[in-house]
Amino acid sequence: MTLPIIGTLACLVLAAFTGGLLGGIDRRLTARLQSRQGPPILQPFLDVAKLLGKTPSVTNAWIVPCAILTLASTAVALAILLRGGDLLLILFVLAAGAVFQTAGALCVPSPYSHLGAHRELLLMLVHEPILILVFTGIAMCTGSFSVADVFREQAPLLPRMPLCFLALGYALTIRLRKSPFDFAASPHAHQELVRGLLTEYAGPYLALLEIAHWLETVLLLGVCALLWHTSLLGMAMLALGSFLAEILLDNATARLTWQWMVRRMSPLAVMGLALVNLLWLYVA
Amino acid sequence: MDIFRNLLHHGRMKSPWFLHFDCGSCNGCDIETLACLTPRYDVERFGAVNIGNPKHADVLLVTGTVNPRNRLVLRQIFDQMPSPKAVVAVGACSLSGGVFRGAYNVVGGVHEVIPVDVSVPGCPPRPEAIIDGLLEAMAAMAAKIGRGPAPGPTLMPWDPDPGREEPASARPPDSRAAPDGNGKAPEERGTAPAPAPDASPPVAEDSGRDPDARPPDGHDQAGPGSAGTAAG
Amino acid sequence: MVHLFVFCCIVLPFLAGAVVRILRRNDLRRILVPITVAAMAAAAIGLGVAGPFRLEVRHLAGIPADAVLTLLETALPLCILLIGWRAGSRLVMGLTALQLAGIAHLHRTGPEIAPPAAIAADGLSLLMTIIVCVVGGLITIYAMGYMDVHESRHRPPVSRKPRFFATVLCFLGAMNGLVLFDDLRWVFLFWEATTLCSYLLIAHDDTPEARSNALCALWMNVLGGLAFVSAMLFLRQSLGTLSAEEVLRRVCAMDVRTTATLLPFAFLCLAAFTKSAQVPFESWLCGAMVAPTPVSALLHSATMVKAGTYLLLRMAPAFAGTTMSTIVALFGAFTFVGACLLAVGQQDAKRLLAYSTIANLGLIIACVGINTTASATAATVIIVYHSVSKGLLFACVGSIEQRIGSRDIEDMRGLRAVMPRTATIAAIGILTMLLPPFGMLTGKWLAIEAIARATQAMPPILGFVALGSALTVLFWTRWAGAFIRSPELRERPSPGPQRPTVLFALKALCGLALVFSLLAPVVLERFIVPAVTEAYARYGQVAALPAIPGTGLAWIYGLSAILAAAAWMARKAARNVPDRAHCPPYACGAAVESGKEAGFRGPMDAFVPTRLANCYLRRHFDEAWLTRAMDTISTAFLVVLVGGLL
Repeated sequence: MTLPIIGTLACLVLAAFTGGLLGGIDRRLTARLQSRQGPPILQPFLDVAKLLGKTPSVTNAWIVPCAILTLASTAVALAILLRGGDLLLILFVLAAGAVFQTAGALCVPSPYSHLGAHRELLLMLVHEPILILVFTGIAMCTGSFSVADVFREQAPLLPRMPLCFLALGYALTIRLRKSPFDFAASPHAHQELVRGLLTEYAGPYLALLEIAHWLETVLLLGVCALLWHTSLLGMAMLALGSFLAEILLDNATARLTWQWMVRRMSPLAVMGLALVNLLWLYVA
Repeated sequence: MDIFRNLLHHGRMKSPWFLHFDCGSCNGCDIETLACLTPRYDVERFGAVNIGNPKHADVLLVTGTVNPRNRLVLRQIFDQMPSPKAVVAVGACSLSGGVFRGAYNVVGGVHEVIPVDVSVPGCPPRPEAIIDGLLEAMAAMAAKIGRGPAPGPTLMPWDPDPGREEPASARPPDSRAAPDGNGKAPEERGTAPAPAPDASPPVAEDSGRDPDARPPDGHDQAGPGSAGTAAG
Repeated sequence: MVHLFVFCCIVLPFLAGAVVRILRRNDLRRILVPITVAAMAAAAIGLGVAGPFRLEVRHLAGIPADAVLTLLETALPLCILLIGWRAGSRLVMGLTALQLAGIAHLHRTGPEIAPPAAIAADGLSLLMTIIVCVVGGLITIYAMGYMDVHESRHRPPVSRKPRFFATVLCFLGAMNGLVLFDDLRWVFLFWEATTLCSYLLIAHDDTPEARSNALCALWMNVLGGLAFVSAMLFLRQSLGTLSAEEVLRRVCAMDVRTTATLLPFAFLCLAAFTKSAQVPFESWLCGAMVAPTPVSALLHSATMVKAGTYLLLRMAPAFAGTTMSTIVALFGAFTFVGACLLAVGQQDAKRLLAYSTIANLGLIIACVGINTTASATAATVIIVYHSVSKGLLFACVGSIEQRIGSRDIEDMRGLRAVMPRTATIAAIGILTMLLPPFGMLTGKWLAIEAIARATQAMPPILGFVALGSALTVLFWTRWAGAFIRSPELRERPSPGPQRPTVLFALKALCGLALVFSLLAPVVLERFIVPAVTEAYARYGQVAALPAIPGTGLAWIYGLSAILAAAAWMARKAARNVPDRAHCPPYACGAAVESGKEAGFRGPMDAFVPTRLANCYLRRHFDEAWLTRAMDTISTAFLVVLVGGLL
């Protein structure tokens, strides 16, 4: 009993390191794409170390439990994925983390934090149905929502769910806070909303949220990798390929408004992608 | 435990998130400061990020001269930054009031309101000077929390030899406040401010006393700042 | 023993209600009501522990049961007819007259076999009884404190509390009868009894608005009752029996189900839709929010509206695998997403809860329509846990409204400083609706798992449910954030006086919501799974799918432990934040904190308070337009449902 727990914890720590490394690669690649040099790859770890060393600066003490519970939820979701658990459960636990984070932002009467929280709620409104539909697509291919059952399949899932993969990319863009959907908490948007959702989280609590973001990155890229589970190379290529595609998209697009997201690139259009795929799987 | 503390400190030094605040300048210094973010100068290679939120920032980069309206804003932004923090005053206006020194609506240099750790003279200073000032601010922050020596005042070529005993107050104001940084060599350094009380004695890290918690008007003036205060 | 328990559940509340009504004494009522509900709760739990049973009722206090039935089933519609006549509502009078005609016809065709009325309780009935007695009992105790304050504010010329509590007790008895009886005539009797109680309770305050909303509820429910009578007539004619078990057995034994066989079930669906306030009948539930909050908590979220879904769940195996079932599922899913869309634009807390109730009922009906063991399990779980959580939330809102005088979510900002206990319990209530490992989330999880395996029309149903589920997160989080919003580091709560009954009920309901969620695996294993598997197996449906997905429910315990540990750690960390760490919210350097209000230094150095409001997106989720659209589409659904069969 204890060995799996220790193993899972070790994997979580490894995942946090990987997530941070991915964040560093992200910043460096972005810089190179912008003809700059960019920070060292280990920069996110330095950032988190610095944040952990800051004195706490708190407006409303409720922010502290919210930050801790966000990290706990994301860690639990990743742990469930690592143990081969239920995909829907992962989604709901991840959503719980997002709910805590948003509630923390709402508990401070700051206009920027409030604005960012509402934008974040709208982003959640858009990406949650997509994830439910994509996971159902996986379930239709394998017969159950369990991740362990995915690995028992003989053939990779991607050829049967290409449109679902595109929809998953859309959800990935939103969760990784990439342009054009980074209007809730982007560090680059500070003329508009300071730091949005994360404005009032400071010091060690921001560090906790950063670590949660790393874990979430690894989790979502892991889900992307699930679609070609038959070979390790395939998984790596899918995960890294999606990540690189996100970085490219981030640098190629401008930030859009939530009205544009809801109306044009709306959940209906993208849910249309996922739904069409599901129909195809369903009929076939 | 020590390893953990050293790790935290290493991160602190290598991740200067700065908040850029313009008190009311002609925007010349602001343009140069923002130029630091461009590919030509690229301050992000030092881990610096232009963060818009004082609660996330380590260094306050101030341009422009303080006036009675924005002294309260400047003070509050500084107070909202969590410790450890540092202040870099960029440009002549924030050092002493610059061309506006003595005007009826001008308080003077930033040091009138908040403790300044590094001054970057120039009108406007070059981006390399600003980046250098930012990195000096890291050293100053380390000194404040007791993890390094206080950066001494860096001499300009026209400054007299410090080996000679010459009190700071005897020096005429103009020779210290050299506003023109344009024609200087690229490796010009930011100078530490003449008013010695600004560099507060290094405080041990866990003393609980915030080294930056000082009343704005609590220190006596010596050097270029005094002219501005007397007039404002 | 079982006899005693059944007596306590069904007959005792009627007797107690009569006593309370006739002897209008306050002190007697204060003792009698808690004792009655405690007895009912104990009896229900006793029945649950005893397990499924079968009881035949031949005599009621010496009178043959059939005679009692005939008497009551004529008297009740006459009562409603009288009410319709007094209110001058021709619609109510006409529908009730038709009902009476139907019942008379039912008598005339004669009870050729006249089997004794039977109480056949399986796991589903027992669970519903427990919910009605325990949750209903707690809400009744809450109502004791609530109505005292209510009457002291409204000051009717004569105290209406005896009438109120008598009606509530009779209602509880009627609900128990509805879920326990097997004979459809008795079920119909109790069904109409709940309609009557609902009317009396909605019209309690006797304002013009209350009276008109109560009439609207009355005619819609009577329409459902008429559909019920029509169904009974058809069943009597085609199958010759009115026992639910017999009906199901005979229908499921048929190889081919013709229109004639399915038509009564379509009518039963119609009856269920009106009772459960599905679109296009949702206006009665929203109008019923004018009633005192215990009424909303008891009738319109926890118990009465569940009667419709209970009926459908019972009858579901009869139309499993038919197109009708698919249409019902689509209809339910459409209601779910439509009601969630309507809830997003709501600022009034009670209307938000009403729309959320309608939405969850739609989800239950969608699961019922999918008609597999897995989906029936999901439907039952949602019924049970939704009752507890929603009852809790309505009770909190009632308490809050009495204290701050407003139901507006915007006025509940920073409520934790004013009403710390209630605000905490309300926030916990919202979290139980939303987060794992609580019961509602378990139900939603089971529902999506079941829908994903559905064989008909899965993509659109799943699309609706996915979208609706995301919408629920939006409006719950928005509300939960308002409770804890404050510019102070820690609120210095100054709790005002709170009635002991109200506080006890709130705490008990909150504890129930938390603990009962933890007991979900036990509840499922003991009550739900056996009942569901038996229902589908007994009636000849191949129980192809396991009731619970392969991953099982052990994760509930794990997640609860982690949540408890994390919450404890988080609370400790929050307590350890030193006071000097406090800083005002960021307002571009001009923030000013004046006591409990955040603001900034504005023009002329004046203090401008920061006004923050949630965004309700009314331009996108306009209530009037959405209601019209939904009513049109759902009416089309219903026409297809019934007309398609004819």
